[in-house]
Amino acid sequence: MLIETRGLSHTYMPGTPFQVEALKRVTMSISAGEFVGIIGETGSGKSTLVQHFNGLLKPTGGEVLFEGNNIWTGEMNLRGLRSRVALLFQFPEHQLFEETVFADVSFGPRNLGLGGRELDERVRFGLEAMGLDFSAFKDRSPFQLSGGEKRRVAMAGILAMRPQVVILDEPTAGMDPRGRRQFMEQVSRLHREERLTVILVTHNMEEVARLAERLFVFYHGEMLLQGRPADVFGADSLIKDTGLEIPPLSELLQRLRRQGKGVRTDIFTVNEAAQEVLQLYRKECV
Amino acid sequence: MSGMHSITLGHYLPGNSLLHRFDPRAKLLSLLIIITALFLVNTFNGMLFFVFFLLVAFFSTNLPWRYFLRGLKPVLYIVFFTLVIHVLFTKGGQVFWRFGMLTIEERGVYLGLFMTLRLILLVIATLLVTLTTTPIAFADGIEFLLRPLRFLKVPGHEIAMMMTIALRFIPTLMEESDKIRKAQMARGADFESGNVFRRAHSLVPLLVPLFVSAFRRADDLAVAMESRCYHGGENRTKMRQQQITALDYLGVLTACGIAVAIVFTGV
Repeated sequence: MLIETRGLSHTYMPGTPFQVEALKRVTMSISAGEFVGIIGETGSGKSTLVQHFNGLLKPTGGEVLFEGNNIWTGEMNLRGLRSRVALLFQFPEHQLFEETVFADVSFGPRNLGLGGRELDERVRFGLEAMGLDFSAFKDRSPFQLSGGEKRRVAMAGILAMRPQVVILDEPTAGMDPRGRRQFMEQVSRLHREERLTVILVTHNMEEVARLAERLFVFYHGEMLLQGRPADVFGADSLIKDTGLEIPPLSELLQRLRRQGKGVRTDIFTVNEAAQEVLQLYRKECV
Repeated sequence: MSGMHSITLGHYLPGNSLLHRFDPRAKLLSLLIIITALFLVNTFNGMLFFVFFLLVAFFSTNLPWRYFLRGLKPVLYIVFFTLVIHVLFTKGGQVFWRFGMLTIEERGVYLGLFMTLRLILLVIATLLVTLTTTPIAFADGIEFLLRPLRFLKVPGHEIAMMMTIALRFIPTLMEESDKIRKAQMARGADFESGNVFRRAHSLVPLLVPLFVSAFRRADDLAVAMESRCYHGGENRTKMRQQQITALDYLGVLTACGIAVAIVFTGV
């Protein structure tokens, strides 16, 4: 197991009138090379959870393990851990601060003590993985880029550390549909080609159903469900009790199924669903 | 994400006690009177009376004492510093201890303890007001108390508005700085080690985004206020009209009475 939690709990501001129990005894595990999705309504504890994976928050109960070692005891170097388990916060464009794109993207690798050719290579890798041309962007000011470009630069800054795991906290919030699709395609390519482990926190059910291999559903600080998207979004799933909607495609296919039509309901891409519906049409109406 | 995970100390706690319902204007006025009296008193007996009075006020509010004590924490350094300075450098009376140039003398110990008590009581009185008054009511109170200064061209409404905005944005900016700090830590930033210069330098990745975001928020707020035709204090009515009741007069009179009694008996 790459990342594991055992009975992980987190309470904000314990002992004050503002005490909030954000996570309650969460036990879960994620293997190397997986693409997992974490979903749940606002305030369900998703963001709190992922900040435990790289030691930004310290559990108030239970433990977090990386490659089998508790990250809060013994010899674990938290800064080292953070370069291997990278976290991209919501609206990451707000964290840019350097004068040039190159300087900003290289912030992470420089903190790892890198320099010279290696640093250049890392920055080039990060930018190009996000579809930004190295020589065209490296000397520009990050504050003069468009919103979408800023976000890619922020993501490039994470990738330039060459992490094993990236945690993305609602990475496409507020982006237009095309930018959103491109961004997720680039992430998904890194997952396939570089065997990057991806942990995606999102509200976009369609996106996560299509991309993730496994889903964890959070509700009021507890992990309510886990499993393949087809099971989690399946007809008899508890998902609707958590205030979440199932993806529109699943909704459509499940309705057809309820009307007694023989369609598959474990499909999450428009093309496949179109094929399925077309087949049904040919069978029944022609 | 959601929620305020870092609350500033002295933050308003909802409640329904007498002090909570006390009109903010009357409450601030009473606070001013009490603080003035606190500075006039110079006997221990007078101070003890204050301790008693503030304890009664505190227990009447039903505030959780643990949270309340935590609010005192930040001033403890100043209190301790005051104590040390007085004890070491005020001369007079019997000498208790001598080490080279340093002496601890009777008058120093007395004054040190006295000043410490005064400071702590000052903070307790202020906390009792800020913990039981919403920021908006507080700003309204300030605006009212600044009104007599209008003929000196003191912009009371503007000052109150600035206070409201500043108070409103403290939790927002704290949350923001927490998020940016974590985001940079996730990129390997180190805010804790190194000498003073290194540490100051390591704050750049935190401060630049924080300023950028503060300006962005200020800009948004300005646009939002302008699009609602906000134009300052003249002829502006209030959504919540504060009604002064007999109880409020009684409160201020009590504060006055206590102050006068203490000042005359305890000077």
